[in-house]
Parts: sequence; C-alpha cells; structure tokens
Amino acid sequence: MRFSEILRIALLEIKGHKMRSFLSFFSISIGVISIMYTLTLIYSMNFRLKKAVEVAGPGRINVELKKRWEAQSDAEKKEAREALTYADSIAIKKAFPELYMVSPYKDKWVEFSDGYFTDYVSVRGITTQWKKRGWVYKLRGRFINEYDIENAQRVCVVIKEGGWMKKPKWMKFYSYSDPLQNYVKHSELLGKTIKLGNGLYKVIGVLEEPPAEKNPRSFVGVGMWEPKVLVPITTAQKFLSGWGDNAGDAIDGIHVDTGDPATIEKYKRQIEQALKSLHGKNLRFNIKDYREVMKDQMADKRRDMLTVMIIGIIAILSGGIGIMNVSLAAIYSRIKEIGIRRSIGAGRKDIMLQFMTEAMLLGFFGGVAGVIAGFAGIQYLAYKGDQNMAMLSWWMPLAAVAAAVFTGFAASIYPARTAAKLDPIEALRYE
Amino acid sequence: MIKCLNLKKIYPLKAGAGYAALQGVDISVEKGEFISICGPSGCGKSTLLNILGFLDTPSEGRYFFEGNDVSGFDDSKRAFLRRSKVGFVFQSFNLLPKLSVIENAMLPLLYLGKKRKEAMERTKAILDKVGLSAKAENDVMELSGGERQRVGLARALANEPQMLLADEPTGNLDSQNSAQVMDLLFDINRSSKMTIVMVTHDNKLAQMTERIIRIKDGKVEK
Ligand SMILES: Nc1ncnc2c1ncn2[C@@H]1O[C@H](COP(=O)(O)OP(=O)(O)O)[C@@H](O)[C@H]1O
Ligand SMILES: [Mg+2]
Repeated sequence: MRFSEILRIALLEIKGHKMRSFLSFFSISIGVISIMYTLTLIYSMNFRLKKAVEVAGPGRINVELKKRWEAQSDAEKKEAREALTYADSIAIKKAFPELYMVSPYKDKWVEFSDGYFTDYVSVRGITTQWKKRGWVYKLRGRFINEYDIENAQRVCVVIKEGGWMKKPKWMKFYSYSDPLQNYVKHSELLGKTIKLGNGLYKVIGVLEEPPAEKNPRSFVGVGMWEPKVLVPITTAQKFLSGWGDNAGDAIDGIHVDTGDPATIEKYKRQIEQALKSLHGKNLRFNIKDYREVMKDQMADKRRDMLTVMIIGIIAILSGGIGIMNVSLAAIYSRIKEIGIRRSIGAGRKDIMLQFMTEAMLLGFFGGVAGVIAGFAGIQYLAYKGDQNMAMLSWWMPLAAVAAAVFTGFAASIYPARTAAKLDPIEALRYE
Repeated sequence: MIKCLNLKKIYPLKAGAGYAALQGVDISVEKGEFISICGPSGCGKSTLLNILGFLDTPSEGRYFFEGNDVSGFDDSKRAFLRRSKVGFVFQSFNLLPKLSVIENAMLPLLYLGKKRKEAMERTKAILDKVGLSAKAENDVMELSGGERQRVGLARALANEPQMLLADEPTGNLDSQNSAQVMDLLFDINRSSKMTIVMVTHDNKLAQMTERIIRIKDGKVEK
C-alpha cells in the first residue's frame, strides 16, 4: 500500500475519534512546550556564559572586599577593618608578573555636570590594565595612560553606548534609559571640560561601543554593568574618595586574568596567600573564579529549568502512555477491520505501518500544536523583557516536534506489533 | 489450476487431541471451472475454502496452486497470494462500515500499491458490472443485503484474480437477491473464464454449477 493511503487512513481514524485524539495530543503538546522552554533557557544561558567569559577573560579571578553583611561572625565584622588597596594590586602584579591582567578599580557615585546637563553618575577609577579585557570599543581621542595615573591627572574617558542596529522586540518595552547616555548620544564631549563632584576634568577620550548586536557585552546581562565614566584610579582616590573604609589608598576590587582557565586555581591560592601576608587577619576579602560568579547568577534559572524539564518529561511520557493506551484500545475495537484488511491482501507490514503512522501523526500534531503554543509563550516572555528567552533557535521547534513524533513511534511499537500478529481468520470471526 | 492432496486440518482443543475438521481431502479444480463445495453445516467447507484462499494453512497434506506447492508458505507470501491471485466473497459480506462503496471495493488495489486515481477508475468499471455505479459514493451501511454482497463481489474482482472463492455468498440473502448474485457469478464465469469455487449447504444452488464436491465430516464423499 502506498504511504499516501496509509496516511489517509490514519487521518480518517484520528478525525473519527476527535476527543480521544485530542486527549493524547494534549499532553504531548505540554511536553513539547516545556522542552522548547528548557532548550531556549539552556541555549541562552550557555551563550551568555560563553560571552561573559569572552569579555571577562578566560582566566578571570575577581578579588573583592567582603561586604560587611557577608562577614560570618561578629568578631569577623569587627576585625575586617582594613581595605583592599591600590598597593595590594601593585604588589600582586610584582609578585606574579606573568599574570595577563591585574586591573584594580574603585567606583564612586558623584555629580556630573557640564553646564547643560547635570546628573548623578557612577565613575570608575582604573589603571591602564583596564584595556586588556573586553576591549570592544572604537576610541576617539586617547585613553588614560601611565602618566595620568602616576600624576593623578584630572582627565576622564566617557563610554558611549552603541545602541541597537535593529532593536529586538524584547527590548522595545524595556523602558529604562540612562540619562547620561541620552546626553552623550546627542552631544560631543571630547575635549570638553566637565565637572565631576567638586573638580573639573578634561574629557580626553570617548569609547564608542559597537551596536548591541555585535557587542558581546550586551549578552552578559546583570552583574556586569559597569560605570560609563572612567578616570585614573589615583585621581579617584585623591579627589573623589569619601571617608572611612573608602579613604586613602582603598580600592573596591581587583580584576585578575591569568590568561588561561587552567591556572585559575593555582593563582587563586597564591593571590590569597599574598594578600594574607600583606594584611594578616585584618582584611576580609572574597576571591572568586569568575565562571563560578556567572554560574551563581544563573543558578536559580537553572533550578527553574530543571523543574520545567521534569514536568515536560512527565507530560511527554504520559502523552506516550496515552497514545499507547489509545492504540491498544483501538486494536480491540478494530480486530474485525484488521481481519477484513488482511483477508483481502494486507500484509503484516501494512497493518503495523498503519497503526504506527496513526500514532506518529498524533505525536506530530501534538508536537506542532505545542511548538506553536510554546513559540507564542516564549515570544511573550521575551517581549516582557526576559533576556533568557531571547535566543530561540530554528532547530528547537524541530527538535521538539521530533521528540513528539518519536514518542508516538515508541508508544506504538507494541500495539502495532500486537495488531499485526493477529491471525486473519480469528480476526475475521471476531464480533 | 489447483490440486489438493490429503489435506488435513486439526484444530487444537483445550482438552483432548484436537479436532480434525478436514481428514484428508483430495480435490482438483481446472482453470475456468465453476464448482461448488456442498455439505451440511460444520462439515469443514469453510475450513477448506480458507485454505484454498490462503487465509489458513493445512495441518497436513499438499496444496498446489498453479503448479506450486503453497502449503508451506509463510504469512507474507500468503498475503501476497491473497492480494494478487484470488478474490474472496464472504457470507457476511465483511465490508468496512466507515468507507463508501467504491472505497470498499477498491481496497485490494490499494494494497497492491496502485495509485488512488487508477484504483478508482478500475473499480468504477467493476461497480458498473455489478450494477452499483449509481451508489458508488454511498456508505455501505445504507445498502440492502443484496447490494452489500454485490459490493463484496466487486471487491473480490477488483484485483482481477485468477480464481474467485465464495463462502455461502447467498447465505444471508433472500431468494430474489440470491438469484441476482448467482446470475452475476455465472456471468463472470462465462464472460471472463474465471475459475469459481463456491461453498454452499444448499443443494439446489449447488446443482446449478458444473460440478459438485460433496463433503461430509471432513472428507470428500465419493
Ligand atoms: N478455530 C477453530 N477451533 C476449533 N474448531 C473449529 C475452529 N474453526 C472451525 N472449527 C470446527 O471445525 C468444523 C468445521 O467448521 P467449518 O469449516 O466452519 O464448517 P462449515 O463451514 O462447513 O459449516 C466445525 O465443527 C467447527 O466447530
Ligand atoms: Mg461455513
């Protein structure tokens, strides 16, 4: 029998039992929806993790002062008096000259003003090491140099965001826009003198980001936000510092890149040793493998994903069991028909194929319905601004439908074999 | 055309040694013959016809079809013979209730791998022959018994078989419809030299055929 005829019979049979068919394809659909959701999550998370590591450097270690609320005990809280210092970063660089990057930073929240525009902005004090990772910019003017740092020059570099070539749907309703960026977009700051806090600074350079589509940084997301005004770290210490912990030689942290993921563990230990020998017990700090930081950030997403995946597997399994049940029940109500078909020349293969086609078709329809619903749902989440849902790939619907069809296939093997094994005479005699 | 030597069929029973429905049957049928197999109910007529139509296998003995010993053929070979060599007409019609007249009648052609369009055309001509072309699109459930049996006949003829096997084809029909079906069988036998083997318990019907094989208790009566 031609496959087109087998397909026709299967379609008639599905159409002839609408409720029965609907029930089995319903749970298949739910399974497929969850598979799509999980695939999208996994895919986006891996993509973002990769991009984040790409930007931060393969051997990235972050050294940060432990926040007060992170301190374990009261004693620790009291002891944690000393700040991480610029001198520490110089000492580390000296002790391990082979490190690709040792980039200390210090952030300050200050008033920005150029006479036309005034707003509070975050300013980051850096060294020339900052350039070594995530340099995706086009530089106009010049960057902060060693001279600026040694002499605590009052100069700054402003980062200008790249915007989108074509704003994706999920960004359209993302309403936050940085006022400074809006200002920078429309006015040339290069060469101007601006006010940061109480002092005047010369804008010596503008770093233009590439459009967001081409900027690996734009996929990194939360936790990677960085100040958009850069000054020499010494300048930040001298003119922008506050009081207490924050004064003097204090900095906020050091970004280290060993240059190779294989050496992360080794340097983590050695830098920790070095810092302990410099500060003794008085410094409480965290030293973290950056990949762990990213993974922590994604951990709750991963938990969501696991739950959804389990629901999906259960749904698709019960869909499969439903199909199996339906197919088995169908055999008993169709024994006579099987007998008739066999008596006029249908082979076992024809009968087997007919039942399997029917089940696979049920799986296919359920899969397609699930893909449509899942696609709509994911688009909706993405539209609501969930970046994790922004990366739906062409192969995901295909994989989901394939899983649904396979479920139909697997679930129908046993019923189809049972049907095909029926003896024609006995089947004919069956009432 | 066919030749049977010492055919035996033993049905296994739950208790005892099994029931011998056929106890060594020798028959032969020539090409173009119209014969009847006649005997009381339960004597093994259907069992014999099922074996002749490749629906069943003998427990013992040889069955030669067109010179080939087919008694040992496996399921797929028998399915092939059923769809390409013989047509089967049943007492209780055995039509598929969900399908229309023409769809029922053309099924064997579809199992032969013919295209739907070609199958339709060939089946239409056959339905014309059995006088049902006007009802080709009707559901079979809408037809009378006589009409249903003519659909059964059209289906048996669809694959242009070498031999037509009919198991009490008029058993469920009134005398008028019986006569009509018998007329059709004679007509087919005459016009296309079709070999026909008809099973009946009705002596009068049997007497209308060229030759009668009488069966009693699973044996051919001499
Ligand atoms: N599957 C079976 N199992 C056991 N006995 C059977 C089976 N089929 C037929 N028989 C027996 O074989 C005998 C012949 O049956 P059958 O060929 O149908 O008779 P007929 O068609 O001549 O009325 C009957 O006694 C019947 O009970
Ligand atoms: Mg009988």
